[in-house]
Amino acid sequence: MTRLALPAFPLDNRRFVGLLFLAPALLYILLLVGFPFLLAIAFGFSDVTVGNTDLNFVGLQNYLAVWENDIFRQVFETTIRFTLISQIFILIFANILAIIFTQDFTGKWFARFIFILPWATPVSLAMIGWLWMLDTKYSPIDYLLLQTGFLGPNGILSNNRNLFWLATPDLSQISVIFVQVWRMTPLATVILMAGLSSIPTDILDQAEVDGSRFMRTLLQIKLPLILPIMVIALLFSMITMFGDMTVVYVLTRGGPVDYTRVLGLYSFQVGIEGGNLAQGAAISLFAFPLLLAMAIFMLRTASRAEVQ
Amino acid sequence: MNRAIYLLIALTIFGALGVGISAQGDYADGTEISLLQWSHFVPRYDEWFDAYAAEWGEANGVGVSVDHVNFTELFSTLAAEIDAGDGHTIVEVLFSPASFIDGLHDLGDINAAAAEAHGERASTCQAASYLPVVDTYYAYTHGYVPDPGDYDIALWTEAGYPEGPKTWDDLLKGGRAIYESSGIPVGIGMSPELDSRMANRAAIWSFGGSVQDENENVVLNSEETIAAVKYLAQLQNEAMTDEVFGWTAASNNQGLIAGELSYILNSNSAYRSLQKIDEAAAANIGFTSALAGPAGAWASSHVWQIYVIPKYVEGDELAAAKQFILDHTANYSDATYYSELYNFPCYASAVPELDGWLEEDPWGSMPPNKFEVLKTVNDWSVHLGFPGVTNPAISQVFAESIIPNMTAKVALGELSAEEAVAQAHERVEEIFNEWRARGMVGGGDM
Repeated sequence: MTRLALPAFPLDNRRFVGLLFLAPALLYILLLVGFPFLLAIAFGFSDVTVGNTDLNFVGLQNYLAVWENDIFRQVFETTIRFTLISQIFILIFANILAIIFTQDFTGKWFARFIFILPWATPVSLAMIGWLWMLDTKYSPIDYLLLQTGFLGPNGILSNNRNLFWLATPDLSQISVIFVQVWRMTPLATVILMAGLSSIPTDILDQAEVDGSRFMRTLLQIKLPLILPIMVIALLFSMITMFGDMTVVYVLTRGGPVDYTRVLGLYSFQVGIEGGNLAQGAAISLFAFPLLLAMAIFMLRTASRAEVQ
Repeated sequence: MNRAIYLLIALTIFGALGVGISAQGDYADGTEISLLQWSHFVPRYDEWFDAYAAEWGEANGVGVSVDHVNFTELFSTLAAEIDAGDGHTIVEVLFSPASFIDGLHDLGDINAAAAEAHGERASTCQAASYLPVVDTYYAYTHGYVPDPGDYDIALWTEAGYPEGPKTWDDLLKGGRAIYESSGIPVGIGMSPELDSRMANRAAIWSFGGSVQDENENVVLNSEETIAAVKYLAQLQNEAMTDEVFGWTAASNNQGLIAGELSYILNSNSAYRSLQKIDEAAAANIGFTSALAGPAGAWASSHVWQIYVIPKYVEGDELAAAKQFILDHTANYSDATYYSELYNFPCYASAVPELDGWLEEDPWGSMPPNKFEVLKTVNDWSVHLGFPGVTNPAISQVFAESIIPNMTAKVALGELSAEEAVAQAHERVEEIFNEWRARGMVGGGDM
């Protein structure tokens, strides 16, 4: 018996279907990430202003000028420092919370819901809330400390009625890092929870049968198995935070002095508020080689850990 | 006189001037203009303005729409619209948009027409809309907001200054005495925000220093600036708390309203807010003109109301926009009145009632002449680039908060005044050189 040859149907072609499914994501990346990114590179090599976006090539002039700017170098260092310190805390808290939230306990779903809120809340709205919480004069935290004798005359922490959370060099930096950790930890936790849930139960059962206790199971089985996912969570969190300007824009606008000024904010202040679009673009692009190197290193680390 | 009569007079004047601007009703059918401006601090102003704009549109056969946004979004929206080549017909910004000059229409014609119709303009307005190095009016400034001192009458009376401080020296001595006796500090910001940027400049100018000279050369690093910075650091250390390093633009308003600051530099906004909450407390707030220093008494205007028309606007839309702007100035009595005396006119003759209102506040101040001190405002209210013009470099220096950061470093004890001023001068020079290379700043070797 001869089989009838059916006409080729495009959706039978796996390669075509794969491309079709990828198309929306590719289009999104090309239009909303790729194009602005290329435009920023072009701006960085030109003398564009907010009033004139004609691309006149000026070579490396903007990058050299930015590098010679003392404020930029401080801003760059602050951005790296804030990012690295935050990631340490995010990693610690996300691991602890992921372990807690993968256990069975009453009210787990509600606790998870509450916990995800910082990530789900629009960042500008959340920051306005924190701006109020950390207000230099009317902070509710200060009020509680005042009522409990930690602040005020003969106070344990200070004789002042306020700690000036966003006004002193040390506390302003601690406040910004704290708020970033508060904001970013839920995402890292959710990613790690997914990783923990994907560990085959037979491995954990075997460990239990072999008499492995909680810490040993955690350190020698769970954490090594979720290491690739942990690296991805870290990468997401680092890149998001490195490019963020909303937190400091709302809370401190970079102050006091330049203590909390980060790259995203400085780029905005120079490029949009100051009108020097070319130099604003150059400032923002300084982060790119560093982020690219970090991403390659971390993805390779994740890949190696997965293979092992 | 009602606003219809004002409109009629204005249209007659501008029609007679023959400045190339279309007369009433000359626009093609379907002509529309759109405006983008801030949500005014005084909601009543927006209500008046929206109704006025609609009325103007009806009278002129032009569709008019008005969008109000937070003032922080104005520059970024203008930048996006110029880049896109499409957007609002008229955009009102609150600080000089000199760096946008290439994307904006030259408004020399309507500036000339307004000068012809209304006479002398406040110098603070002229410098925020004209760039001499390219001899271009990139904007039309219709109003500005005075930035007097607001003081707690009871506290300053007790300290021996019943009419408030008159000099920066008074502020230090009286403010320190009040702080020591009551714990209530002075409120001059040293934070990267608008009010701090202006307050710090006021002190520097009054001590004889400035960022640039009248020819747009950077002169920040001077003995006068160093003296002003030393003074501000001393004022912070002896009469203020650390809160001023972390202030937002609203912080000094909040402090004055709460009775927790003895003196601030601000528009009438804090006072008007208090007036609506607690009339007795508002009666205890007095106003001073710019504080005098060794070289004079200067204060920055608080903001400026500056209209620009992007280059993508053409034809009848452009003609209608220009007419709208001129007619708005002709109706400035209403603008000043409904802004509760927040908006001051660039052309004093456009608001002949102003002196009377300052002698007897139509919005119920106690005593009624509370704002009388503002009758001299044009003698001491200057713009950001003083004594030069507000050019793109001055705007970038402002945006980067170089001046309040400079004083904060000294007040925090991180640098000496000499070091902080030299460091700031270096950055300001870099900025000026970049804009000078683009041909948008004078001075230097030009």
